[in-house]
Amino acid sequence: MTTSNEQPVFAAIDSTTGRAIELALQELWVAGRVLPVGAALQVRHVFKCAEPKTVEVVYAFGLPRDAALRSFRIVGDGFSAMSELKPAADAVKLYEAGIEAGSLSSLARQYQDGVVNLSVGNVRPGETVAVYLDVLAGVELRDDGLRFRFPFTLAPTYHAKARTIEAEPGVGEMELPEDFGDVILPRWMENAAGLHRVGFELTIALPQAVAEIGSPSHAVKVRHDGGHHRVSLAPEKDVPDRDLVLDVHTQDPLSGVMGGIGKDGQGHFALVLPSSAFGQAESGPRRIVFVVDRSGSMQGVAMAQARQAVEACLGALSVQDSFGVVAFSDHVDCLEQQLMDGSLRNRDAARKFLEAVEALGGTDLAAGFLAAAKLLGQDGGDVLVLTDGQVSGTETILAQARATGIRIHCLGIGSASQDRFLTLLARETGGVSSFLTARERVDMAAVELFASVGRPLARGIGIETVGGQEVSFAPAPPPAIFAGTPLMLFGESSGHTAARVRLLWEGSDGKRQLDVPVQLAESGDAETVGLLQGSRLITDMEARLDATPVEGTAVGREADRQARALERLSAKYGLASRAMSLVAVVKRKGDKAGDVPKTVVVPVGMPQDTTFAAYFRKGTPPGQVAHYKYMFRESTRGVGSVQKLCAMRVESRGLCENGFLQRSKATGNTDDFLLLLASRIGPDGGMPVNNDEEDRWVATAITLLCFLSQGHTTKSGAFRPHVGKLIAYLKAAPSMASDERKRRLMELAEKGPVLSGNWMNHAHTLVEKGQCDAQQFWKEASLAMRLLRAV
Amino acid sequence: MTRSEGKAEVEWSLAELAEETGCPPRTIRFYIAKGLLRGPTKAGRGASYGQEHVCRINEIRNWQDKGLTLTEIVRKLAGDEPSKIIEVPTAWWSYQLQSDVTVQVRADASPWRLRQIQRALKDLSNRLTQPTTKENRNDDKQ
Repeated sequence: MTTSNEQPVFAAIDSTTGRAIELALQELWVAGRVLPVGAALQVRHVFKCAEPKTVEVVYAFGLPRDAALRSFRIVGDGFSAMSELKPAADAVKLYEAGIEAGSLSSLARQYQDGVVNLSVGNVRPGETVAVYLDVLAGVELRDDGLRFRFPFTLAPTYHAKARTIEAEPGVGEMELPEDFGDVILPRWMENAAGLHRVGFELTIALPQAVAEIGSPSHAVKVRHDGGHHRVSLAPEKDVPDRDLVLDVHTQDPLSGVMGGIGKDGQGHFALVLPSSAFGQAESGPRRIVFVVDRSGSMQGVAMAQARQAVEACLGALSVQDSFGVVAFSDHVDCLEQQLMDGSLRNRDAARKFLEAVEALGGTDLAAGFLAAAKLLGQDGGDVLVLTDGQVSGTETILAQARATGIRIHCLGIGSASQDRFLTLLARETGGVSSFLTARERVDMAAVELFASVGRPLARGIGIETVGGQEVSFAPAPPPAIFAGTPLMLFGESSGHTAARVRLLWEGSDGKRQLDVPVQLAESGDAETVGLLQGSRLITDMEARLDATPVEGTAVGREADRQARALERLSAKYGLASRAMSLVAVVKRKGDKAGDVPKTVVVPVGMPQDTTFAAYFRKGTPPGQVAHYKYMFRESTRGVGSVQKLCAMRVESRGLCENGFLQRSKATGNTDDFLLLLASRIGPDGGMPVNNDEEDRWVATAITLLCFLSQGHTTKSGAFRPHVGKLIAYLKAAPSMASDERKRRLMELAEKGPVLSGNWMNHAHTLVEKGQCDAQQFWKEASLAMRLLRAV
Repeated sequence: MTRSEGKAEVEWSLAELAEETGCPPRTIRFYIAKGLLRGPTKAGRGASYGQEHVCRINEIRNWQDKGLTLTEIVRKLAGDEPSKIIEVPTAWWSYQLQSDVTVQVRADASPWRLRQIQRALKDLSNRLTQPTTKENRNDDKQ
């Protein structure tokens, strides 16, 4: 019998001999500075050869969002050498020549999808070598702070031609087709215990006062140090089974110009403006398609939360709005083949459709958004994708997304980063994105994203210099600004600058403009900001590279031209890319030419909360997945069979309304209950209790007061569209004109302080019994209003 | 590329093998480490690869095209065709002691074992260079 303390500990195993081997990668340690517009990191990799012969260690990792490698230093007993930036083919030649000569050689080469192979060859028996890799990375910027993400593991991904296997119990292997070059992927250990240790110590350097620093992924220690905050791993060490995620909230919105004049005499800066500077959102009916990833990797909580989120978002729709729902894995199912209005009947159909959705199969993301684009047709609209985004061949998917002309907003879910890809998918189509860990509330984040993306605050953003020295901006500003996501622009000038930059845009109330002063002085951050601009430009250019060009064809020649442009851009900023790699060869006494080092691939942990069997099913032939697909397709042929399937599955996942209500009551989770209330709001904005107009008004007022009491208003909080809709219903009621109590209540609800009362209890009665006690409500509401008046 | 004296056997360096097969050198080393491919026929500065390596790399590609992973290919080699199982080690050091004596030693032997073998080879080399004595001749007679 085993106890919880006797879990098997996995160790690296030599696949050919079955012998346990010492870890080739001993430690991964991240240090550096996190600025509002990106991070400058140094990642220490400590490699050790425990084999009786020389080894070539290959470590595979994914780049964070908008990231590029700058350089590395390789250090060992009696030597230290810096890398050189070379065109990828030249770097590989240098590396191979070094290996052939028996010299210690290291190569950092980037492949498709932002996957990097760091190879260190000819590490001698017993030798320890450290590689210090400098990385520039972007951050997820929000009006009230930022989210920083660094990958400590690499997620296995879906690709139609990928080959996967459970090589040993709890050890998964994945190989990509030849189009992906000679990239080597790691082995995935179901249990990450026993793998290399990871840790971090980062400095948070923001100009605004920091209100809060936290991490949904790791236990952290925060120290104040000379105006900055130092964040480090609280335990001594951790395992590589999830990304590091840090959240930094500022007291005031992030705003202003960062950077300055660098040592090169040039101005490198970033301009940040909060979304609130762009006014109010446009009004008008919404056209939105929810695209839900139901691939196997979404199994469990992520899938359940995605369903719940869509149901809650639908609660904000009216009959004037149009919506569609698409579920995709390696095949696609649509709720209907056209958009539907937000009537209760259609929302109910959507709920049943989502209940029947099970997480199985691969992730054909492109098929999902292509189906959404077809639904939206020529009139366009928004697509909200909920996915873990664990796919390979992302450049092809990005090209397909751009071709649709639709705006895609992404809510990523996962413990291992596909943040880079989903950021690009949203940005390349004019949308916004957010990425959560699987242990965060996906549903609330989806509702928040839904509230932000419906109508942009600004479109057609232009920039011009109206005074002082000319400054240039690259990349171009986004096509639209959405609530909650600030505008961030990278700029350059030829020296000291005191300019005024004019921003012009189309707002909800016509053309608008704003002048922003840009005054640059010497700054230690200038170089970093310039490099962050470079890494962002490189990432954008890589996203537009043709993934599989054919030599000699027009496409192939265009790909060559693109590759040369990328090489020039890399060289300009001194940053690696898919066209340029970093290489170092250290010649040492005792190098033995011609010896073939043993290749050792560093294993990583299966991302936390990702089901191992979703990728590495033991001996599962492709037919088994097809069998499930067949079952699903069969079940959707008739409405009766769908309902039967729902009945079985609702019970197992405990997400039916009653189960959901019981959970929210048992846990006292207010967000759960608000989600349920949101999903109940009628298309006209009123709560469906009965046909009595007065009862409906009171039920709706109770619901409104519940949202207001939790800080959700028409301007803030994830439920702002729902609050707006409730208020619109209440104000439009004919009885408003003759009822002073109602007018006063609405006045306070819209402008005044929150009315105190047991609104949640009233709402629970409303949901459980389908009725409300109007007399008791008005008694409490009148008392609350009198108290406020007295104050 | 060289041709062995008096034989039709073609010998390639790792870079030449990579060019011949279109399989990058690092991937070839990876195959060797996984036991899919035999190591060079000779180790050291003159490490070389032959036609069997080209054939095996093509075989691996064919199996991959059929959807097999490298691990499955290793198993296939072990299960279906036991004679083709690649033993570890895959490379050999070649010590030429005299113009008429060459000794091959497994390249991945442990360091202590290699030192032991090298000492023995040194002794052997010394003995082979010594002038013929009466004692040697008696040994030969026995």
